[in-house]
Amino acid sequence: MDDVLERPSPQQPSSKDHNEEDQSSGDEDGGLDWTKLPGPGTTARPVIPKRGEKDFEPTQEGGSGLQLHVLDRARGAMVEALRAGRSISSKSISYGIWYPSIDRVHVTTARGIHFSTMGHSVARGVSSSDNPGDNEADRPLNHISGSKLPKRLELLPEEAIYLVERGALFCYKPIAQESIPGDSLSPEEISPGSPMSVQQAFAEMIGREGMTLERYQVYAYLKRLGFVLTRADPPTIDYPVAAPPSLPITRSLDQPRTVWHRLAALFSRLDVFKALRFIPCGHLVPLHKSSLSETRSIPSPESVASASSPYKVFFHVYKPSTPFRKTAPPAPDFYVVVVNARTTAMPSLHELTSLFYVLPEMPLPPPRKRGIQASTKKPNNVPTVKSPSSNVLGQASHDSSRTAHPPIQSSSQSAQPQSPTLFQHLTSFIPLFRTTAPKQITTPTFVPNRPNPFLALKTGTKTIVVAAVDSGSISFFRFGEGVFEEWPMA
Amino acid sequence: MSQVQPPSRSKKFSQKFSARRAENNLIYANPLPVIFPSPPPPPPSLLHRLLGISVSHVENPHCEGVLDLSTRSVWVLGMGDAMLLWQRGFFGKGDLSRSEPSWLARQVNARKQAKKGGLTSEEVTAKRRAERKQFKLDRAKAMAAAAAEAEVAFQEQGRVISTTYAPDGTRIIPSAATWKPTRTQEAQTGEPASSPKPEDTDDDEDDDEEEPIQNIEHLQLTLQEAFFLLWNLDCLSVLNPDTDTPLTLSQIWHAFQNAYIPSPTLSPSLNAPHSPRFDNPFLINYIVYHHYRSLGWVVKNGIKFCADYLLYKRGPIFSHAEFAIVVCPVYEDPADQESSPFNLQNASPFSWSWLSTINRVNAQVQKTLILSYVTIPARSRISEDVLSSPACFAHYSVREVVVRRFIPARMRD
Repeated sequence: MDDVLERPSPQQPSSKDHNEEDQSSGDEDGGLDWTKLPGPGTTARPVIPKRGEKDFEPTQEGGSGLQLHVLDRARGAMVEALRAGRSISSKSISYGIWYPSIDRVHVTTARGIHFSTMGHSVARGVSSSDNPGDNEADRPLNHISGSKLPKRLELLPEEAIYLVERGALFCYKPIAQESIPGDSLSPEEISPGSPMSVQQAFAEMIGREGMTLERYQVYAYLKRLGFVLTRADPPTIDYPVAAPPSLPITRSLDQPRTVWHRLAALFSRLDVFKALRFIPCGHLVPLHKSSLSETRSIPSPESVASASSPYKVFFHVYKPSTPFRKTAPPAPDFYVVVVNARTTAMPSLHELTSLFYVLPEMPLPPPRKRGIQASTKKPNNVPTVKSPSSNVLGQASHDSSRTAHPPIQSSSQSAQPQSPTLFQHLTSFIPLFRTTAPKQITTPTFVPNRPNPFLALKTGTKTIVVAAVDSGSISFFRFGEGVFEEWPMA
Repeated sequence: MSQVQPPSRSKKFSQKFSARRAENNLIYANPLPVIFPSPPPPPPSLLHRLLGISVSHVENPHCEGVLDLSTRSVWVLGMGDAMLLWQRGFFGKGDLSRSEPSWLARQVNARKQAKKGGLTSEEVTAKRRAERKQFKLDRAKAMAAAAAEAEVAFQEQGRVISTTYAPDGTRIIPSAATWKPTRTQEAQTGEPASSPKPEDTDDDEDDDEEEPIQNIEHLQLTLQEAFFLLWNLDCLSVLNPDTDTPLTLSQIWHAFQNAYIPSPTLSPSLNAPHSPRFDNPFLINYIVYHHYRSLGWVVKNGIKFCADYLLYKRGPIFSHAEFAIVVCPVYEDPADQESSPFNLQNASPFSWSWLSTINRVNAQVQKTLILSYVTIPARSRISEDVLSSPACFAHYSVREVVVRRFIPARMRD
């Protein structure tokens, strides 16, 4: 009798609904339609269905009979779906031992696909000359010496809790207090009995190794969506991190402008706009802070991002499609900072600047392909980690008039007769052609078909993702470094 | 005055649209009130004009405005000047209109019969709002009827039927995209406009002898817009409201700053403020305004979207604003912030809930939120004597941060 509710209606996904869904928060905000989930007997992974029909308010007298019936059905379906026992095949269970003294879980038996992206190998073992608990990480791992330590797989607390929550890991805690982390004992020997429950796992591991509840929530949420997360600063030497992007050489404020832009500027009757640009702008302008010394203009990460500021990159996030190798992680797709929304305010300018300072510049996302024009408009897609100084966005004209002096120069230049000025521009530019050849040669071809400025303006050059956790609700914000001065409208 | 056609979906739409666009391109061709000649002579530089070297073939309209301190604005009373300032750069706002000073046009329209459909922008908006209200009434009625029908079906037969789609697949409840106003609605909206008609039909022949409407509207420029025009382009002169004499640049510089310092009288105080400060709201807002104007954007007020400014690529006529700017002043020296008499908004980083609010509001209208950080120099580092002239702008700096939502579920590929 409730067939209509069971069957997904064919007319519902109209284009208008898709449009609205783009604007609205979409799936992750609304509740599931539990009636459309497959029953507990199926082994297929449930697909998150579209939302069902929703009435805005109950009719009078506390809701009509139909409304109450629909509500009861939905509630019953939810309870049934949650009640179903979750199972995992015994062949894909991994086993591990939690060592509180080093805040790690040593995985004795690793099965399943999770360990291709989780865990790191540490050489830890017991040898007579060493103290227990000594990391021996400084010993070269490949060094064949008398005591070659076995490498073993270890998990950080958040990874361990995540796997225990999924049911993919049975984690044991040693009963004996003096258990040595280097022991290669099996779980049965260490702690006979049942493995840790999820509750016990939370109680044990939250708070260790910088893992707070907020950070774990963000970790688990992103992991469940399919992302790969690693920590940004390694807790130990063994932990593999992405090679840090070569820190950006302080870009000179006077970028060479392309020949074409100078020509265009000469003949443009809107030169007055350029003459007006004398207010210092952009993220390269030194940011003074009264507590810092005057000479240190660009804040180094250590100066502002001291222990008091919670704004430090905590997670490196990789998209599911990025090929991830545990031993040599590639450059991350997103940099995530996790803060508590109630206790921490928005980042101030100094904190943002120190965050941007360590980030590499990202290339523009490719514009949507519009047939043939895609080839001419496509900007360079190669990540700029290797050559951060080759500013891909440098195709646009860089305003050199950041102080009061250049406008006077440009005005004096424009006052001269034109052909020597043009010639001067051309000759002055030739040395630049030679020194920065790989970059400049490509730019003249880009200029006639400038990429859409709005794309660059809306994404900015560097992006940091801040996750503000408010008692379990996570809001993600992207803060991008704006580049309005590089894309003038006139 | 430009008249905006209501968008229609007839076949002539595209022709009308391109004609309208060509007309707009003609009317709004100049981005600034001062017109410079086309190439090849190099345009006169700012420096040349400041030094008073007269260069020929620069068309400077020399508009005039009166300073009004109660509204902290400059009033341009001459309609010729007002339309010129609006059409060349979209400066200012008509005080009786939504944006462009079109009050007179609306009154003339209200008098005549608006049968050709030449509506001003306010009338278009009013018509659209009336239609939307009617649509909402229709939709509510349809929803109530469908719910009642479903309820009846459930009670009697135990069947559950869908309330939005009829069994044959059509929508019972109208959607905004497909709803059309019925004839009765059009007649109703046409009624109020033509109700004065019976009185006028007798005077139709005497239309010319009817008293012309006195235009009581003026164009209002904010202090930042006025300063931009008079300092950079030298095309505006501001009169003292008490004496009707033009003010000098330094008098204006002081008066604009003093406008933000509470004082008992409404006459502009033309002397330097007693304690000039770097964080005067006029200076901060002007710096942001100037920065974006110098990049070629048209900068308008953004209060409708919880922001300080809106940036248009060419103007409000051509497209919707792309960016909403929130000005965030940043003090170099925290002691300056504590001793400040102004209590600038957004000087401290705001809470996440507020950031989320303005981000949502602007995302709903497809604008990108930009935080513009203006650094305020410390009084300990730079003496306040520099505030005696506009050269102090070189000590500030502006930088932007783009704020967007990050939805991990959608960023997976």
